[in-house]
Amino acid sequence: MSMITKERPVPNGVVLEITGDLTYANREQFKTAVERIRQRGVRYLILNMADVRFVDSSGLGLLALVSQNFKLSQGQVSILKPQSYVREIMVLANIQKLIPVYDNEQEAVTGFKQAA
Amino acid sequence: MERHGTSSVDCNDFSRSTGQTSGSDKTEAQQTALIVDDEPVSRAGMAARLKRLGYRVLQAGDGKAGLELLRRERPDLTILDWMMPELDGPSVCELVRRDPEVFSSQIILMTGHDQPEQIAEGLARGADDFLSKAASPQEITARVQAGMRAAGLIRRLKHATDEIRLKQEAIERELQSAARYVVSLLPPPGQLLPGLEMASAYRPSSALGGDLFNVLRWHEHSLGMYLLDASGHGVSPALRSASFSTFLREDNLLHRVGSSDPGAILTEANRQFPLTENGSYFTIVFVRLDIRTHTLFYATAGHNGLMLHRRSGEICYLAQPSLPLGFDGGNVYHTVETQLSPGDRLYLMSDGLYEVPSPTGELWGQARLETSMREAAAKPLADALAHAIGAAEQWLGHQKFPDDVAVMGIELAG
Repeated sequence: MSMITKERPVPNGVVLEITGDLTYANREQFKTAVERIRQRGVRYLILNMADVRFVDSSGLGLLALVSQNFKLSQGQVSILKPQSYVREIMVLANIQKLIPVYDNEQEAVTGFKQAA
Repeated sequence: MERHGTSSVDCNDFSRSTGQTSGSDKTEAQQTALIVDDEPVSRAGMAARLKRLGYRVLQAGDGKAGLELLRRERPDLTILDWMMPELDGPSVCELVRRDPEVFSSQIILMTGHDQPEQIAEGLARGADDFLSKAASPQEITARVQAGMRAAGLIRRLKHATDEIRLKQEAIERELQSAARYVVSLLPPPGQLLPGLEMASAYRPSSALGGDLFNVLRWHEHSLGMYLLDASGHGVSPALRSASFSTFLREDNLLHRVGSSDPGAILTEANRQFPLTENGSYFTIVFVRLDIRTHTLFYATAGHNGLMLHRRSGEICYLAQPSLPLGFDGGNVYHTVETQLSPGDRLYLMSDGLYEVPSPTGELWGQARLETSMREAAAKPLADALAHAIGAAEQWLGHQKFPDDVAVMGIELAG
């Protein structure tokens, strides 16, 4: 399945709404969308994954990669509302140790304010 | 400027000029046209016209001879009369289109009756274009040149396709050779130490796999084993895995880590193998077994495939959630230890063994893998592995696993 991304500003950062699968096939699209945001100087990025049904091993690597890249520019990435299957995959790889996971957007935005 | 039919007819050229040059020697400079017409005067008129246009011209006086000449000489363009005794133009077209050797030949069908229905029938039976015998010299020239252009494009396309196929075959041979190298890195099954049996299976999803496993011999009483999985498929993960396996050699680990402790080894590997610019990484399970005390030391990085099948029948997955290598350069991986008993079996495996989808998309899963291991508990270790892979194949509905499958099992003699 292909991927659609749409961004939306929030106080201090940007929410990237992702629809589709975060997989090897969609890696370039995801990287491009995220890099575009980072290179504008945005420091806080919320990945809304409510409409992501599947993340494969390449997708996990991309999440770690964008998180590392934002940290390098003193920013932070967080994940919003992962579906249960995606959440399970992320737990097995201990992703929450690297990237905060939130169930509502307000908490994610507040998380940024604290980090800032 | 009407010159049609006024030029001298060179009947000597008929069929005698054939067989002088082979089809493959043809250059772009002189393209060849074949004229098939049972009417000598009109055939000769067309031949003269095409020669003036600079083409090499072949001629045949009936459909059967025309077809033979077309097959032998592979002309760029064939101008085919509709009405001929025995084999008429449309029948020649049909035979050409059915012949895989010449089916892409360019054919212009020519007739005195250019009714729309007849044009449609001619095209439907395999002609590329249609030419009326009453056509003006300008139209004939234009259609012949258009046909030659199309023939040139088809020829170039065919060349390009042949070249791609040859290159593809060369790449396949390279991949097969690289795959044989990867397999040569794997340890042979059998007795690792007195009282310790090993069996394994390796089924890459494409020619080259990103999964790799091996056995390290620290001392006569201490063995290391690992199974790693590079994210992604194909050449790049296979290369990265081979490079990682070099890092994991006994001498290098002693030099770089100074310890056979699985946690220390993974902590150092995590520093040495950061995420690539594409977010590629490794997951790995690393164990050390002290054969004297039957103590198992293990550490995992984002890898869940470490299964202990006790002689008592109990099955447990030992791995705890952990970060894959490269996700956090400062992460520390801890060693966990557990006690094995005679008759216990330990499996290091990639998730490709149990994340196997049925035709409806349902995953086979760890629970079904456990069931199949239990069914085969009384069989020898290698047969138990074969049984589990067979069950996964049955679930899959065929033998081509979507992900690399690698598994290595050991059994302590009971």
